Amino acid sequence: MSAAIELRDVRKNFGPTEIIRGVNLSIADGERHAVIGPNGAGKSTLFNLITGKYSLSGGEISLRDEVVSGLAPFQINRKGLSRSFQVTNIFPRMSVYENIRCGVLWSLGYKYSFWHIVDNLKDVNERTAEILEEIGLQARAQIPAGVLTYAEQRALEIGITIAGGANVILLDEPTAGMSHSETDQAIALIRKVTEGRTLVMVEHDMGVVFGLADKISVLVYGEIIASGTPEEIKGNAAVKEAYLGEEAE
Amino acid sequence: MSNMSETAGVARKASFLSRYAIWLVPAIIVAIMPPVLDSNVAMAVLNQMGIAVIFTVAYNMMLGQGGMLSFGFAVYFGLGGYFAIHGVNIISEGGWPIPLPFVPFLGGLAGLAFGALFGSFSTNRAGTVFAMISLGLGEMMASSSLIFSKFSGGEEGITTDRTEVPPFFGVEFTTEQEIYYLIAGWVFFAVFLMYRFSRTPIGRIANAVRDNPERAEFLGYSQKWVRFMSFSVAGCFAGVAGALFALNYEIVTEETVGALTSGVVLLQAYIGGIGFFAGPIVGAVIFTLLQTLMSNYTEIWALYVGVVFVGTVMYAPAGLTGLIMMHIPVYRVGRMGKLTVPYARIALPALICALGAIGFLELWQHISAGATGESEIHVFFMTLDYTSPIPWIVFIAMFLGGLWDARRVAPAVADTYGNALHYAFTGEDQ
Amino acid sequence: MAELIIFSLLNGLVYGLLLFMLASGLTLIFSMMGVLNFAHASIYMLGAYIAYTISQYVGFWPGLIIAPIVVGLFGALVERYGLRHVHKYGHVAELIFTFGLAFLIEEFVQLIWGKQTVAYAQPELLDFSLFEMYGSTFPAYRGFMLLVSVAIFVGLLVVLTRSRVGLIINAAITHPNMVAMLGHNVPLVFMGVFGVGSALAGLAGVIAGPVLGTAPGMAVVLGPIVFVVIVVGGLGSLVGAFVASILIGMLQTFAVAVDYSFLQFFGHLGLDMDPDGALSDLYTVTIAQLGPIMPYMLLVLILIFRPTGLFGTREV
Repeated sequence: MSAAIELRDVRKNFGPTEIIRGVNLSIADGERHAVIGPNGAGKSTLFNLITGKYSLSGGEISLRDEVVSGLAPFQINRKGLSRSFQVTNIFPRMSVYENIRCGVLWSLGYKYSFWHIVDNLKDVNERTAEILEEIGLQARAQIPAGVLTYAEQRALEIGITIAGGANVILLDEPTAGMSHSETDQAIALIRKVTEGRTLVMVEHDMGVVFGLADKISVLVYGEIIASGTPEEIKGNAAVKEAYLGEEAE
Repeated sequence: MSNMSETAGVARKASFLSRYAIWLVPAIIVAIMPPVLDSNVAMAVLNQMGIAVIFTVAYNMMLGQGGMLSFGFAVYFGLGGYFAIHGVNIISEGGWPIPLPFVPFLGGLAGLAFGALFGSFSTNRAGTVFAMISLGLGEMMASSSLIFSKFSGGEEGITTDRTEVPPFFGVEFTTEQEIYYLIAGWVFFAVFLMYRFSRTPIGRIANAVRDNPERAEFLGYSQKWVRFMSFSVAGCFAGVAGALFALNYEIVTEETVGALTSGVVLLQAYIGGIGFFAGPIVGAVIFTLLQTLMSNYTEIWALYVGVVFVGTVMYAPAGLTGLIMMHIPVYRVGRMGKLTVPYARIALPALICALGAIGFLELWQHISAGATGESEIHVFFMTLDYTSPIPWIVFIAMFLGGLWDARRVAPAVADTYGNALHYAFTGEDQ
Repeated sequence: MAELIIFSLLNGLVYGLLLFMLASGLTLIFSMMGVLNFAHASIYMLGAYIAYTISQYVGFWPGLIIAPIVVGLFGALVERYGLRHVHKYGHVAELIFTFGLAFLIEEFVQLIWGKQTVAYAQPELLDFSLFEMYGSTFPAYRGFMLLVSVAIFVGLLVVLTRSRVGLIINAAITHPNMVAMLGHNVPLVFMGVFGVGSALAGLAGVIAGPVLGTAPGMAVVLGPIVFVVIVVGGLGSLVGAFVASILIGMLQTFAVAVDYSFLQFFGHLGLDMDPDGALSDLYTVTIAQLGPIMPYMLLVLILIFRPTGLFGTREV
């Protein structure tokens, strides 16, 4: 089986500082993979490299055997990769419904159409309604996204991310800043909406990580020091020392 | 079951009516204007208004819907005008078999072509940088129109005679009324198309790119391409408006492509309200009325417009349409009545303040520009002597007193509105 | 030829340094506050007019000091009671506000001083020619303009590189949020920068007024060119603004002196073009005629080939 995402010796430096120092990572199709690591380890940078927000200083990234490093974010997205953001990143002045619909339009082939009328596009509106239901925001559909509560905005963030039907989903700290009950709901939501897709996520909350991930990679100072199933990671001495140990204290 | 589909049918019929009423009612009003008003002056004002409406709505495709603030939008308007004039001249000489009502297509093509040309390198970013570039391009084209005088006629501009075009079904477009119907038809056609554009995928994505270009990129959209398309299409409609301008006035000069035209369209859009499709229409209508009416009474009407504009930017950034829209929820729950008294309470000092300011400025204007030896002026239907201190003192007192009182009651009025809005959303008083 | 080059160089330098006086304030304001002050050139005009009025009563020299101060205070007030209020609506709203302000200033200038050019004259003290070369003279007043501009340039350089305030300003240009976190009163710094920027623009107006003409149109003539300067130089780069100012100053002065068209050029190549052809506009135009649009052509070229500007790091 070919890998959904493969990183080969990926490097990134900002000026003289090397943030990502030769990451090799292969994520299989349909896998739920979590990237963990202490603050400043380079997790978000890694995401920004994969999605094309930053350009690589070295190495190569491929998406289903196709090299995507060097492409613009929108080109990578069109190849079936979608991401969410750590800091909520939505369209604040548009309604919740419109937010989701923007994610849907491209994938259903309407692209830059200047002829179709969006309200008459049955497939688009059905799909939008479906996603709204999945993320539980039907009742808030007509409200400007900017006035939603924080947890609702996080759910909308995930909704926008999956709306395009991408096969590979990258979630950047999807539960950051949430309360316990909100986190539980978010886990259930993520589990539901990523069914049958490849998921890569950065997460701090170990409960979320061990509850969701099939495989975990530990990133420390720009290098992956361990990669394996949750059990393997729990038992890995180096990981304990570098990361989990701090948490346990 | 059949019952349900029946009600659905009725609902659909109703929505069909209400959907088209918004186009039909203005269409009827516009159609009966000429016989009702029966005045060439009024026709001229309406013609100017119609052109302004197309131009301003096109402008707002960029500013309101696409987040691109342009200080040089007159370029596409003016080029549409120049090409239309040349087109009419060629047609008159028997060059092209195009009837006059189709000449705006020429202007639209010119606007589209130049929009695409300039858009190709100026739409990388929105915001401030885009604004600066648009200003530079605007200045470049305005100066060019003076330099390339073969094309643009230099300072005198170029002229044409629309009546030399072969008649279109017997209509020669010699009267204000005939050109009025031509412009009115184009207003509906163009505004409908622009409205339609705002409801298409690209129109929606333009909003998304305006709100958050980065996020749109991660949904598969190239922000530059989205802006480029909005920009080109807006240029196209500006060209249509410019062509109508050319047909109406039969002259296009450097002023038509210049900074003033670019500034006025921004003023119109902003005063009307850039957040709503109808905003620029309202803005264009009001501005044209103000301009034509006020310039009959005062030399410094542009100063007043400037004050209104800056006031809008500072205190009502959603514009006139925004002020109306923010009262819709209150109106729906029948609470407008509660607002009448507080609004009247603040309107009175505001009016006094405004009258004081206007009187003061008018007096001043006559000092700096009035004929020598003439010391009497007419302000508010009164004859005043500006060498006497009394009118000055009265106007300054009105201005300061009105301002003081209006500012004093403003917080309470804002609270009343806040309460009414709260009631509208929650059904209970605060 | 030598005469042409020397005088064009000197005049280009005078004009370029004048542009820099405006561009430096604009760049400082833009890079610190993110606000492109559309009214910057209007403030320059205000400087000229106020100095004119002062010169009517007490002569040119007091105006040189008082007018920039008055205009600087005006700028600070605009920041405090106008811009700061609009800030919450975003940068585009701020820009629109300054646009409205420019419109208002022009209208008020017409209201107060009339629509005609006012007779703002250079001081008699400087009404002589500095030197004569090849039969042409260089007026002392231009020399004075050069002196003032250079003094301002050096002053800015010293303040920005040697003083504590300069340190804060430099830091604020690159990391505005950090500076706030370090406990500096950012609103006050903003107000100060806006005021000083305005005062610089005012001073430029005071010294340019007698030469370029003090009329309600003077802001519109110079404003867009100053914007071009800061884009061409690179947003947020003072060095870039300086180089671009001089470049555009030279470009415009030299262009005016060159009466040469493509028609002649093609003629030298042995091509005969019809001087009355349909597209003759494009090749009968002389370089001198193109002078006014050269800065904008430069802008377009920069945008296409070097979107960061000459010295900038941010892509535009």
